[in-house]
Amino acid sequence: MQEAPFVLLMLTDSLTLAFRADVLGLAFLTLALLMWTAVGIYALRYKDHQENNGRFFAFYLLTLVMLVGLSLAANYVTMYLFFEMMTLCSVPLVLHNGSAEASSAAKKYLFYSIFGATLGLLGLFFIHAYSISSDFLPGGVLDAAKIAGNEEMLRTIAFLAVMGFGAKAGLFPLHAWLPAAHPVAPSPASAVLSGVITKAGVFCIIRVIYFQFGAAFLRDTWVQRSWIAVALLTILMGSLMAFREKRLKTRLAYSTVSQVSYILLGLFFLNEAAFAGALLHVLYHSILKDGLFLSAGNILYQTHLENVEELKGLGRQMPRTLGCFAIFSLGLTGIPPFAGFLSKWELAAGALSSGLLPYAWLAPAVLLISAMLTAGYLFPIVIHGFFPGRAYRSEGPDTGEAPVAMVGVVGALAAATVVLGLFGAPILKFFLDLAGTIFL
Amino acid sequence: MMSGYWIPIAIFLPILGGVLIPLIGFSRAKTREIYVLSVVLATSLLTAGLMIAPPEGAVSVVSITRTIDIAFYVDGLGTVFGVLVTFLWPLATLYAFEYMAHEHRRNTFFAYYTMTYGLTLGIAFSANLITMYLFCELLTLVTLPLITHTRTKAAYVAGVKYLIYFVAGATAAFVGIILFFVNGGGLDFVPGGLSAGTVDMAPGILGASFLLMFFGFGAKAAIFPVQDWLPSAGVAPTPVTALLHAVAVVKSGVFAIARLTYYSFGAAPLEGTLVQKIALSFAIFTILYGAIMAWKEVHFKRRLAYSTISNLSYMIFGILLLTPAGLVAGLLHMLFHGIMKIALFFVAGAVACQSGLHYVTDLRGYGRRMPRTFAAFTMASLSLMGVAPLCGFMSKWYLAQAAVARGGVYAYLGLGALLVAAVFTAIYLLTIVLRAYFPQKGYEAAGRPEAKDPGLYMQIPLGIFALAVVLLGLFAWPVAEWIRSAVAGTFI
Repeated sequence: MQEAPFVLLMLTDSLTLAFRADVLGLAFLTLALLMWTAVGIYALRYKDHQENNGRFFAFYLLTLVMLVGLSLAANYVTMYLFFEMMTLCSVPLVLHNGSAEASSAAKKYLFYSIFGATLGLLGLFFIHAYSISSDFLPGGVLDAAKIAGNEEMLRTIAFLAVMGFGAKAGLFPLHAWLPAAHPVAPSPASAVLSGVITKAGVFCIIRVIYFQFGAAFLRDTWVQRSWIAVALLTILMGSLMAFREKRLKTRLAYSTVSQVSYILLGLFFLNEAAFAGALLHVLYHSILKDGLFLSAGNILYQTHLENVEELKGLGRQMPRTLGCFAIFSLGLTGIPPFAGFLSKWELAAGALSSGLLPYAWLAPAVLLISAMLTAGYLFPIVIHGFFPGRAYRSEGPDTGEAPVAMVGVVGALAAATVVLGLFGAPILKFFLDLAGTIFL
Repeated sequence: MMSGYWIPIAIFLPILGGVLIPLIGFSRAKTREIYVLSVVLATSLLTAGLMIAPPEGAVSVVSITRTIDIAFYVDGLGTVFGVLVTFLWPLATLYAFEYMAHEHRRNTFFAYYTMTYGLTLGIAFSANLITMYLFCELLTLVTLPLITHTRTKAAYVAGVKYLIYFVAGATAAFVGIILFFVNGGGLDFVPGGLSAGTVDMAPGILGASFLLMFFGFGAKAAIFPVQDWLPSAGVAPTPVTALLHAVAVVKSGVFAIARLTYYSFGAAPLEGTLVQKIALSFAIFTILYGAIMAWKEVHFKRRLAYSTISNLSYMIFGILLLTPAGLVAGLLHMLFHGIMKIALFFVAGAVACQSGLHYVTDLRGYGRRMPRTFAAFTMASLSLMGVAPLCGFMSKWYLAQAAVARGGVYAYLGLGALLVAAVFTAIYLLTIVLRAYFPQKGYEAAGRPEAKDPGLYMQIPLGIFALAVVLLGLFAWPVAEWIRSAVAGTFI
């Protein structure tokens, strides 16, 4: 039985700002806090590379505050409030370096986020009118008597609300802001944008599907099929765009678009195995993507190089950073025993066992193709970095490896990749048990 | 309970007080300020008393014929509008003192400005259609010199436009009133309108008279296609645009629509009719039109004017849903929007006054130059955008819930329009905030270098409004319940 939520504010007799710490919320909160701390330590060293640090750290921390509120929200309106505030607090991070490009990226971010949040608001309006309770309850809160005759309309609303929150998660077609905004932010900000803030969109989608509408209401409907189709499209599109992209941080941003849709795919299959795989990938991807962005940060800090082609032979100068980059690449591609393999495996298993044709076999196929593309857009960086070939002549000055603190954080993330990969099974079991409590 | 005769006294006090200003001919600003503020405060206190202890029944001031008279009363709906007006007028007057310090012919300005207060109260407390019509006309005439005050070419063009729209609107409204009256409709305002009596009006007549009055009085509420006077009116001094065109004139239009819909016609006779659909369609279109035009517009005050056009139609949409929830929601937004929009206009005026700047693209870095001003702007913007738990979110919430509860194509279209407009609202307000606080590297601040936060007469109202959007958001529920009880009995 769930504990009663803590009501902070009663806005009307049915609309409250309330908080509750359930397992899912606490898990997400823990992830956010850990990643924020790791990247924060990194940022304290990286900050010598940038100006206006007071402003940067103020909004860095404020965004975390909003994430805390989001994780612990007990109902839709509270979650929506903190979701909007999180967007507003993270815009200054994108704007930070004051360039025209940053300004334009921030406007794009704002527009897409607000548009998406407004679709989420649409969901709130209808859920409130058609539910038994405005709280998050496993299995959903729809009132069978009230919704009678309006099921199709509510399914459409669910579709739109999830697509709206999906904007934050980089789901097609509201993904275009991500490749613009993530690269232009300072590297620590890019890391948390890709690694954690996208997962806030995922979290909201979990709440909306599983705790408001209920999986049973949406299983085997056109809504579920459309979602899966869009997620598969995003996975492929993101991987292809990453493959073609020359700028390192933009390549990583497209990779995020693709990878977060792995997570969404798992959520959309509406079964326990896929769900657990999705949550495991939330954890793995955060670590891997934060690691990749912070490595890119190291490279920027030391050499000011932005493009992939310029990184030939970097391995001589920055062996530790590139070594960690190699580990993250192996993980993201899904090579055992690194973090990233088990989550993909479970996602594929969940898809196959769902019985939803043709997606049951199409999804694993797409995951496989995407893995090959991932290898294609990550491995060459490592290979050319360590083995530039005989014709290579080093051009820039040898500025050496990045400062210890920064390399240390990246190394810690690489170590986590290995450890969490080796010990993935107990973590997966935790998520499977969690899934058991949500799928009623 | 106060005696009924205080009602015309409250209305005519500021009118008389205003007329006396050019006759006395104040030569020192300080003396004039004391006089005007005294008149305004006295009126507000008197009106507050009337609304707390309302007289029973109507008081007839002039009988034109046996059945037609000029009469006033204080009822729930009038109180809702009255509260907004009485609260805002003293604050707006303070603001006007500072703003007009560098303008000319201030005696005439404050004469008309103060008279407008009385006329607006006259609309709020009208007891029948003829009285409301008369005071709406007088409002147009008395606010016209305020629009043309600066005597520039643009001001005269705006004035002519203003006059044409409102004379046309007045004619339409008058024809509608006549049509309604000769076919058995009562001139007196009664909760429930036609439902309260036994009149059986032909649907064609009912519809035609309603539409004539709707668009006639609705010209003040800037509904499409009679909205174009409002952006041009931005050429007036900001106290005029802020108070009159974000509060008094436009809300009079919305109030008039609410009054005639529920107290002359009634919800039941109009429910499901073609004219309801027509009215809703125009409101829904205007919501989108205003929001998109605001987004495209770069002149600061005109952007806010288009925003007002959009928001007024939120109110009209709520009112024309013809459900109790819809009416309450529309009136709630009337109150909350008045406060948010007057705050935004006051900022635009303060910026223009201090820096000479009129375009939003010039406001780079002004968050640092005028910190308190832009702090107020940010609060009002967040509220208007619909960030919980500020008051703008709450009124949108009520509107959305009313729409979802009613259901049907028009309600859902309206809801969609509301949400699309919300996206544009966020963009056209936040871009100003972002530009003010996060200018690009190496920017140069535009406008007069000595620009800074304005004086106390402007800062105090801004501070009060910034606080109000928070408090009203937290206490939106009691306010909505108060409105609900104020309009109880209108659904028969």
